[in-house]
Amino acid sequence: MSSITYGGYGGRVRASNSVWHGWDRFDYVMVFAAIALVIYGLLLIYSGSLPWYEGPVASLNNPSAKQAMFAAVGVVAMLVVSKIDYHHFIHYSWALYLIGIVSLLAILAFGSTEGGAKSWFTFGPVQVQPSEFAKIATILLLARFFSEHGGDARELKALLLSLAIMVPVVGLVFIQPDLGTSLVFGAIWLGVVIVAGVSRGHLLVMGAIFLALLPFIWTFGIADYQVQRISVLVDPNRDPLDTGFTTLQGEIALGSGQVFGKGFTQGDQTQLEYLRVATRDFIFSLMGEEFGFVGAMVMFALFILLLMRGIRAAQLAGDTAGQLVAVGIVMLILMQTFINIAVNVRLFPVTGIPLPFVSQGGSSLVSLFVSLGILQSIVMRHRAYRQT
Amino acid sequence: MSILDEGFRAPGGPSRNRPHGNLAVLRLAVIGMFAVLAIRLVDMQIINGAEFARRSEENHIIQKNILPTRGLILDRNGEPLVQNVGVYSAKILPEVLPESKDARYRIYLKLQDLVGVSPLEVQARVDEAEAAGRGYIDITIATNLSKDQALALEEASVDMRGVTLAITPGRNYVAGPEFSHILGYIGPQTAEEAQVLGEAGYQLDEPVGKDGIEARYEDDLRGQIGYNAAEQDAQGRLITQVGTKDPVPGNTLELAIDMELQQYVAELLQDSMADTTGIWGPATIASAVVMNPNTGEVYSLVSIPTYDNNIFADSRNRAAELEALSTDNNTYPFLNKALSPAAPGSTFKLVTSAAGLMEGSITPSTSYYIGCRLEVKGENDILYEYPDWRCHDQMMDVRTGIAWSSNIFMWLTAGGDLERVRGLGKDVETSATILASWARRFGFGQVTGIDLYGEDPGRVPDPGWKRRTYVGEGFNPGENEWFLGDTYNMAIGQGDVLATPLQIARMTAAVANGGKLVTPHIVNRVVEPDGTTVRTITPKLEEVGVSEEYIQVIREGMLGSVQYGAGARGAISAASVAGKTGTAEFFKKDGSKSQHAWFTGFAPYEDPEVVVTVYFDIGVGGDKAAPVAAKILQYFMENVDR
Repeated sequence: MSSITYGGYGGRVRASNSVWHGWDRFDYVMVFAAIALVIYGLLLIYSGSLPWYEGPVASLNNPSAKQAMFAAVGVVAMLVVSKIDYHHFIHYSWALYLIGIVSLLAILAFGSTEGGAKSWFTFGPVQVQPSEFAKIATILLLARFFSEHGGDARELKALLLSLAIMVPVVGLVFIQPDLGTSLVFGAIWLGVVIVAGVSRGHLLVMGAIFLALLPFIWTFGIADYQVQRISVLVDPNRDPLDTGFTTLQGEIALGSGQVFGKGFTQGDQTQLEYLRVATRDFIFSLMGEEFGFVGAMVMFALFILLLMRGIRAAQLAGDTAGQLVAVGIVMLILMQTFINIAVNVRLFPVTGIPLPFVSQGGSSLVSLFVSLGILQSIVMRHRAYRQT
Repeated sequence: MSILDEGFRAPGGPSRNRPHGNLAVLRLAVIGMFAVLAIRLVDMQIINGAEFARRSEENHIIQKNILPTRGLILDRNGEPLVQNVGVYSAKILPEVLPESKDARYRIYLKLQDLVGVSPLEVQARVDEAEAAGRGYIDITIATNLSKDQALALEEASVDMRGVTLAITPGRNYVAGPEFSHILGYIGPQTAEEAQVLGEAGYQLDEPVGKDGIEARYEDDLRGQIGYNAAEQDAQGRLITQVGTKDPVPGNTLELAIDMELQQYVAELLQDSMADTTGIWGPATIASAVVMNPNTGEVYSLVSIPTYDNNIFADSRNRAAELEALSTDNNTYPFLNKALSPAAPGSTFKLVTSAAGLMEGSITPSTSYYIGCRLEVKGENDILYEYPDWRCHDQMMDVRTGIAWSSNIFMWLTAGGDLERVRGLGKDVETSATILASWARRFGFGQVTGIDLYGEDPGRVPDPGWKRRTYVGEGFNPGENEWFLGDTYNMAIGQGDVLATPLQIARMTAAVANGGKLVTPHIVNRVVEPDGTTVRTITPKLEEVGVSEEYIQVIREGMLGSVQYGAGARGAISAASVAGKTGTAEFFKKDGSKSQHAWFTGFAPYEDPEVVVTVYFDIGVGGDKAAPVAAKILQYFMENVDR
């Protein structure tokens, strides 16, 4: 607070205050991977929107143009956030967390329903998904919590208290109902506590308790549409024209791409609209159909590169809080990616989780870039805090 | 700027201890998760990729078959006997019907207005199909709709999701019910047929020939199915044409049948059946065969009673009629009587005579005095009496024996009298066996090979057959022995001998053409729609094995029958007729005795062009059948273009 200086030319002060400062440590590789994924997504969204988008190509209504705009907004947000010390966010994490909880509550009351779940706010043309915000807020709060408790989760008390942070958000997301996002939250928590050094015994006991509770969750906690989605996963032919249709056609699209794919805009599953939500949840199937196994491997490589750079951020982080935030964000991206692709390859029931950076959807894209901004903030400041 | 940069350096913020987490786990998790996904992708895209590609193809390429036009059937003069028509049906695809019960019921109610089917019935059938998981298969709810109904339905079906108007190829049989047994009919495939036909490339809704020529020449009549393949999107819109193949219409059949002759013969038989002047009352069944003795071309083949074969196409509306026809257990209208067996009676004497001449039991000049009855001394010197049908009281050779249809002459020829006259063989059984083998040479006891289904082989009994058959329940011990009486019965076409009118006609043809057994055929020529001949049915002849000289003797006997003998009413002005009457005793269902009436003959005697066989189930050959045969021959000689 005391170091607010205007227009000074003192070496360290000037350097640290300048907008131009710190970019040498900025992780350009990470940003390259993210932007490559976004461009990959733009191509896919263009192809996937051909059958239903009827307006001119060069128009802001064009879904790929819109997505590009959101990406631009996202990149700017990332740059801004990366210039902000992440400790500001950690400092206000309680407030952010409470806002998250309130917005999740609000959505249960006023949200728009899509695919059986209430997870959107609609403000005119913009749809906002508060769980995106809540994810980041929760990561920040978890990091803060553990860093205040000696930076580890070895004590059972700390572990249980951290669970108390999770329960309200996960519960609210779960009753939307959004099984997939609940799982993402779970994975974030798991990743954070593992890196925070949880004892293996504690984790095993908690896992056992969770398994024992699973049947009750299945019976009382899961909405009918989710049960249906899971049973369709087992046998999509059971209901070939409804939920199963989506899964089945996704599987056919993906499989039929074979090694090299059918070619850009040549996937007939997509172009003839057999593949549903081709630019959102099933964009991976669209990619698989048009670019094949090779295209999938390229995409995997980009994701792995991005995630590894995220882990690098965790490695470099100057303090525990930064490290745990980085871990949480890596887990967030990893789990969303994994669940989305697992749905596409029929390893997981349909959940409605978009493919990070690739799927059409502004709210997810912007919040992902904000997360990257936080990672950048951690990387750009690692030396500053390491030294103290 | 700086407030955002380093402003919260110390106070209130989280403590800043050095990070100590192990991030290797995280790296492993990333690699592991993507490895799982990659393995799954290898399975889906590389190992099973081709299968998915095929499914994707199937998904969107829809092939709509175009049914070919079924081949026409013409008579020998090119007159069409059938017409191809479109049959309009209302169909429901349960899968596409609206989900809500109310919406469905509104559709059912509307259908009632349009095509007159009860909504409850439709509902029951839809529910049943859905319960059985067959919701993706069309249900035909009404067929044979009128043009007006069809138009109304087509218009209304726009608002009735799941209801469609279907047009399937149908047949209208225009020549009259007397052609039903020959032509048969077409109908939907049965479940068993569908299995076999499906493998042969048939579409499920494609009708097939069920009987007669329609069934026998199915392969020629069907033609080749065409298709129209198009790319379809998930909403069912056709996007692009992928390929087409025009259907090839079926081949036309040119029959040997003369339409007008067939109609004339049928009318004649029906009129004569109604005639009750004979001693046995009206006949219930009649049939006639008119054919070329040299080629086997069948000019006319009539079976009475008959039925209207258009009934099957409209079975829903004509159910009562169909029910009555199929439950008629007295005359079995669906059965082709020309191919169904009856005791041949004296017409069989032609076989007995030929056998006698060839085996030497008689010569062309052998003559006996024939009185009223034959007395045969059996075992223990018991005298058995065998009466002839009339007291001939004259010397007879084989010619007069045939002309007057003498039973006694034929008994002596076949079985002898066990004293002075030797039969065909050295004893009763060998005589019978020899006679039976000659009967078979004349085509009895086997199918004639006509190009129709459902032909009965008839029956030629012999001692071996009797031994096998007359045993078991209902028979006395020893009853299965062959007696002289059995030989006598067979010699005059009585007892256990059974022959179809077509077999009698074929035998007559063999006598007319100098001893060759001909295979009768209905179809003369198979022609492509453009007029190219696919194939012509050539006459198939085989030698009976009777010498020309003896055949001539039998022909003389037949000429005598018409000129002065039992078949005198078979004579006509247009040509000299040679013929043979037959009157076979049988027991009616109620146990009373009656007689079948037969006449078989050919004309002109000098150079035979036509064989006619006429059969009534009740009547006397010379009185009932001979005059009908005469009229047919007269008509034939005057009107039929040969």
